[in-house]
Amino acid sequence: MVQRLKEVDVVVIGVGMVGSIVAKELAAAGYKVVGLERGQTRFTVPEFQSPAIHDELRFDIRKALMQDNTREPVTFRNQGSQVALPVRRWESFLPGTGLGGSMVHWNGQTYRFQANDFQLATRTRERYGKGFLDPDVTIQDWGVTYDDLEPHYDRFEYLLGTSGKAGNIKGQIQAGGDPHESPRSREYPTPPQKEHFQGAMFRKAASSLGYHPFPQPSSNLSQPYTNPEGMKLNACVFCGFCERYACEHYAKSVPQTMILPVLLANPNFELRTGCQVQRINLDSTKKHATGVTYIDAVGREFEQPASLVITSTFAINNIRMLLLSGIGKPYDPATGQGVVGRNYAYQTMSTVASFFDEDVIINPFMASGASGTLINDFAGDNFDHSGLGFIGGAFIGAVNTNGRPIQYHPVPPGTPNWGKGWKQAVVKHYNHTIMFSLHGSSVSQRRNYCDLDPTYKDAWGQPVLRITFDFPPNDIKMAAHVTAKAVEIGKAMGAKQVAGNPRKGPYTVTQYQTTHNTGGTVMGDSPKTSVVNRYLQSWDVPNVFVIGASNYPQNASWNPTGTLGALTYWAIDALKNKYLKNPGRLVSA
Amino acid sequence: MNAPAGHFARVAFGSLLIAGLPCALAASAARAPAATPAAKTAAATPVASPAAAPPCEACHGAHGEGMAAAQVPRIAGQSADYLKKQLDDYAAGTRDNPIMANFAKALSEQQRAEFAARYAAMSAPYLAQATPPMSVHLARGHQLAFQGDEAKRVQACNGCHGPDGVGVPHAAPYLAGQSAEFLSSALKAFKDGTRKNDAGELMRSVAERLDDADIAAVTGYFASVDLSTH
Repeated sequence: MVQRLKEVDVVVIGVGMVGSIVAKELAAAGYKVVGLERGQTRFTVPEFQSPAIHDELRFDIRKALMQDNTREPVTFRNQGSQVALPVRRWESFLPGTGLGGSMVHWNGQTYRFQANDFQLATRTRERYGKGFLDPDVTIQDWGVTYDDLEPHYDRFEYLLGTSGKAGNIKGQIQAGGDPHESPRSREYPTPPQKEHFQGAMFRKAASSLGYHPFPQPSSNLSQPYTNPEGMKLNACVFCGFCERYACEHYAKSVPQTMILPVLLANPNFELRTGCQVQRINLDSTKKHATGVTYIDAVGREFEQPASLVITSTFAINNIRMLLLSGIGKPYDPATGQGVVGRNYAYQTMSTVASFFDEDVIINPFMASGASGTLINDFAGDNFDHSGLGFIGGAFIGAVNTNGRPIQYHPVPPGTPNWGKGWKQAVVKHYNHTIMFSLHGSSVSQRRNYCDLDPTYKDAWGQPVLRITFDFPPNDIKMAAHVTAKAVEIGKAMGAKQVAGNPRKGPYTVTQYQTTHNTGGTVMGDSPKTSVVNRYLQSWDVPNVFVIGASNYPQNASWNPTGTLGALTYWAIDALKNKYLKNPGRLVSA
Repeated sequence: MNAPAGHFARVAFGSLLIAGLPCALAASAARAPAATPAAKTAAATPVASPAAAPPCEACHGAHGEGMAAAQVPRIAGQSADYLKKQLDDYAAGTRDNPIMANFAKALSEQQRAEFAARYAAMSAPYLAQATPPMSVHLARGHQLAFQGDEAKRVQACNGCHGPDGVGVPHAAPYLAGQSAEFLSSALKAFKDGTRKNDAGELMRSVAERLDDADIAAVTGYFASVDLSTH
């Protein structure tokens, strides 16, 4: 028996970073908003307090903050010819669940993409010619420009209080910042984090090679900060438990610390947790959403009618929500037709380990999630790709985030994988190794996509999402090129041994890389190649908006959160100032 | 040069002890910006080297147990890093206390390290509070210590100060067994901004969100924790 509830103005599916911000803005504008969150309510006190939150076994190994894949797994395969199998233990990527979403367990690394990234197809063609790319690569322009998003990047960074050093303010290059960045309108809200020893060593070596090191922009704050919502955040204490954990100190910008208290105090908003949305409901025309159907924690089914539905779940779950709801044509890799699930991309992560003598003391455990030093000289299109046969790049940085004992034990190549030899090597190298992260871009490609699995179902009987993905040759070449450059920096630091580990295929879902899944509901100028228009409005069902990293047509060289924050405020602007004043299509197809 | 200075200090300090100690402590307790006559006496007083009987004893006790009634902290067994930093801050003027500043300024950095190490190595018997806190206050104090308060955006004290406030060497001083009187004066000093030698404003961020009842509760709680028995 489905209970039909009273209609509201807006239903927000997923109360994470995007959901909290959108709901706050629309509730403040006077709309009745219901937020449906599948996970539990949780706050800094008591849920995030130590010592419980510093349990490496529970959070790092057993992934306590992540989507429950005993009830809601995804399936995975490398190639369309294979049978996909369920991912029963998260490893490669870690989608979160619960109030505050995946942002609760993020590292706080808060970048902007560059102007070039938003017009990647056009700029690549202009600079390198038409036939430069592998024909299977399906990169495209975003439909928005960096200039469109700049005010929204700015607003997002000031919401978070991001600690950093500007490299380009209104076209003026700033000493100490990243000279490659696209112009920003003003300085970061707070000064950069303290630089750790490995960052200082990296800075010196990178400078000596003529590169341009700068402090990693961090939303684990360098000093107390009160944001425009009136929320006061504290300074980070470098405890080394950011990613995969929640912050106990009100020092990491997450919904709980930066906006949720304001949202929850607004009587126009109602939060319902433990609610698993089954689908967005459509009327008989299939061009208008009537609300959503969800099942609560004790199994009761509800229909929540609404004038506007916003799906703001984790990227891959946004794709699945549209597929389960019959919104948009599913992508078919055989014909190249359809859009939902198309252009799924990821991030191409490589590493370089520099091993030092025992008199070089690194203390890797004294870290925050974003207190590193890095260069963008080999990121994006910041170097000439002529003759290289690939596009894209990676930032290179000494961006170590922790030295936690179960997970962090760098050893040189050739070390035994277990036993006495391995243990001795861990002891020898733990405190004398610098790890570089090479955070690489990811092109979209014809054969990488998501659809509904034909076999496996979730605990509610709905098909789970199937991911078909392997690293495109473009990105493997990019990883090899950038890794060679990073090895030179390791040598310039004076390391005794430098081991480069460029990302190689095939992609494996059983090894942690990064939780930067993108694409599948991409934004763009044409309904033939995108799911949503430039305002993140569904081409097919105009009263559905989809907001997530699933909107990215391909992924750039940086962590996606900053850009997602900018897109969120960009979409809110369109909702408040355009759509809600006159509901209907914001862009004609 | 050290020996005569030390000799002089002992004599001078002895006279201070007899003549003006209660007054000096009162000045310290109230953190009065204008020095009292006794504080002026202290200001003129050179200080002993660690080799001599330390002048610390007069206020901090023969075993570093402190003097609760005068808001003088217990320093026995406090981490050497923490004590050294406080002495350095007094010497540099980044922690304000006229009596401690004058002692600290007269010490070399090496001497400050030696004093810190001396008290870090001491142990002193637990001193029960003259007036034990009421159970309702203990409960609130325990809540702040172990859990914090979401409505006030205050995290658990123990998150930095260690399990049950035992302290974390290099990072945070112990609170357990410290006198409620001293802890209250310290929290209030952070709250009103007269003490600001906390890295990242970590203590000021917390103290500004605590009201008087919270401060009484949490300091009473930590004063009640006898680490010698558990």
